[in-house]
Amino acid sequence: MAETHAGPIAVTGNEAVAEAMRQINPDVVCAYPITPQTEVVQLYAQMVADGAVDTEFVTVESEHSAMSAAIGAAAGGARTMTATSSQGFALMWELLYVAASYRLPIVMTTVNRALSGPINIHCDHSDTMGGRDSGWLQIYGENHQQAYDNCLQSVRIAEHMDVRTPVMHMYDGYVISGAIGPLVILQDEKVRDFIGPFKAINPMLDVEHPVTVGPFDGLHGWYFEHKVAQNRAMDRSFKVIQDVADEFAEITGRHYGLLEPYRLDDAEIAIVVIGSTAGTTRMVVDKLRARGVKAGMVRVRVFRPFPHEAYAKALEHVKVVGVMDRADSFGAQGGPLFLEIRAALYDSDPRPQVLPFVYGLGGRDIFPDNIEQAFAVLEETARSGKRATSERRYLNLRKD
Amino acid sequence: MADVRKRQPKVCDYYTSEDGFSPGVAFCSGCVLELNLRFISRVLGPDIIFVGTPSCSAPVLHGQNTMAWHKHAYYACTMTGVASSATGLSRYYEKAGIDATVVCHTGDGCAQDVGFQTLSGAAERNEKMIYVCYDNEGYMNTGIQQSSATPFGASTSTTPTGRASKGKTTGSKNMPMVMAMHEIPYVATATLSHLEDYAKKLVKAKEAAKRGFVYLHVFAPCVPGWKIATDASIQVCRDAVKTNYFPLWEAEDGVFRITQKVKDVKPVEALTSTVGKFKHLKPEQVAILQGQVDQRFRMLQALCAGSAAVEAPAE
Repeated sequence: MAETHAGPIAVTGNEAVAEAMRQINPDVVCAYPITPQTEVVQLYAQMVADGAVDTEFVTVESEHSAMSAAIGAAAGGARTMTATSSQGFALMWELLYVAASYRLPIVMTTVNRALSGPINIHCDHSDTMGGRDSGWLQIYGENHQQAYDNCLQSVRIAEHMDVRTPVMHMYDGYVISGAIGPLVILQDEKVRDFIGPFKAINPMLDVEHPVTVGPFDGLHGWYFEHKVAQNRAMDRSFKVIQDVADEFAEITGRHYGLLEPYRLDDAEIAIVVIGSTAGTTRMVVDKLRARGVKAGMVRVRVFRPFPHEAYAKALEHVKVVGVMDRADSFGAQGGPLFLEIRAALYDSDPRPQVLPFVYGLGGRDIFPDNIEQAFAVLEETARSGKRATSERRYLNLRKD
Repeated sequence: MADVRKRQPKVCDYYTSEDGFSPGVAFCSGCVLELNLRFISRVLGPDIIFVGTPSCSAPVLHGQNTMAWHKHAYYACTMTGVASSATGLSRYYEKAGIDATVVCHTGDGCAQDVGFQTLSGAAERNEKMIYVCYDNEGYMNTGIQQSSATPFGASTSTTPTGRASKGKTTGSKNMPMVMAMHEIPYVATATLSHLEDYAKKLVKAKEAAKRGFVYLHVFAPCVPGWKIATDASIQVCRDAVKTNYFPLWEAEDGVFRITQKVKDVKPVEALTSTVGKFKHLKPEQVAILQGQVDQRFRMLQALCAGSAAVEAPAE
């Protein structure tokens, strides 16, 4: 895939990301194989073997070590990348916080997959939703092109001096990672110009000016202020993410925002959804619109930081919003996305109703019919003018 | 005394730099860890990068608040990721053409227990670094809990003696031997009573780390944890060597060699009788410990003979 193509080519999601990584040509890649991310690591290993990149490629003995090694390399001053999924992501969890706290601009591809148990290798968003408070930026893609585009943009966002925070970008396991879809690849030089050189801040590489990274900050230290600084970087990253997306649009013609509304302007009911299911939802919206139903949709792109003001603005005119979560927060009022959307709309007046839907756990299929069922609930609630119960509605759940 | 005076300058001959640590660092009185860190720093020189963990060595390696207590680059790692983070550093140093040695410095709990997987993985990959494990036979920093380095019979806060217990029921993991079985360029044991032996090993370690992974296992008694007198720690190190409880050896590219052959080996009781954590041991328990010590030493001798090593002349 080294040569560039004018038109779209057919690739798996993993091939799309491996290609992006080849073009980025990071200094260090540390990785451990896990289904369904494995292909990214294999393809990259071959690129290293073929001399297509001059990356230092470290095949570590676990994901915990993959993130540890990535942190070491990034602290040394290297542009560093890794990739993971599911249990591997869970095993990294301790180090996710460390990478974010040290403001190391690592970029990680995470292929969304369910967490055990029971053992399940299929797609849902439980893995990265569990890391939503780790201090990393989180960008979700819908399809192959977005997997590629988000990977490239993540490097710029993570390394921006207003952010300097690691970024994980996601796409759905199997549905995108293993299935074949269209991809338009940028020329290598365009990617190189877009990415630009990396300049590390206070790298440990500089042995003439030794620094300590990550020490105990004392019993009366600056931990609190440090955490506040991380959150301020999150606030600043909204603008950076948009600026990078706009610059990316100039060279590709592909436009991205913090969120992606669809037929929302005059919508009375709307669904908010993450990942590949957005494609199916868009189709259902069109079908409903053809019937005269004022349906709309928002696809979540950036989940951390969560652009709550943008969501309030986008959804405040909608009567009933259905939030589709492909992960659950056991014992909470709803899934993670539901909680965010509901909180974002709290200050709206009049306040739209927000109803929680859970779907697709452990790779359970989500059919257009299921999404229509969800819209039917929203439509009925809007028509009745009463407040519906906010209990979870499960889509395509088997009967006992 | 004349002997001692003759040896002192020999150790100093191995020093390549000024003391990289500030005076007045916060260790317990009589702690050998301070000596260990200063010694490593002075023998290996300024172009080393330490990687360590929350531990007894942390207050000194980390510094205090914003004040550093040493002049080395230092990465304060989690206990679970030392050898992996060091891998990231060392790989990038090599790629960037920087001639610096990454030195991991952790306790036994990190090396043998919670950080063992990453240590074993880095050794298998033959990453270019020196890993120094200072073995104080348990989690001394957190309140003297047992680790896989705690020996048979030892009393710790999680293997306490009582009416129904006589201390730890299993022996320690033979960690330096485990690392030798990774077939890395250099493995050695060392302790603070035999500094010349230790210095030679550090010099070899720095050379060998240019080719791959080096593991040094340093016997480092803990004054409060082991319940010994503040002026006894070096003597305990010496006793450990003289009883074959902690033999000093090295494995250089798979060739095993005892570097300090002990002529008149003392019974292990010479060590256990002076260390508080063993003071409850009955003769039959000491006999079990003695059996473990003897068995390990026989295995070491067999490896030395089997790998065609030339043994050092008797001390």
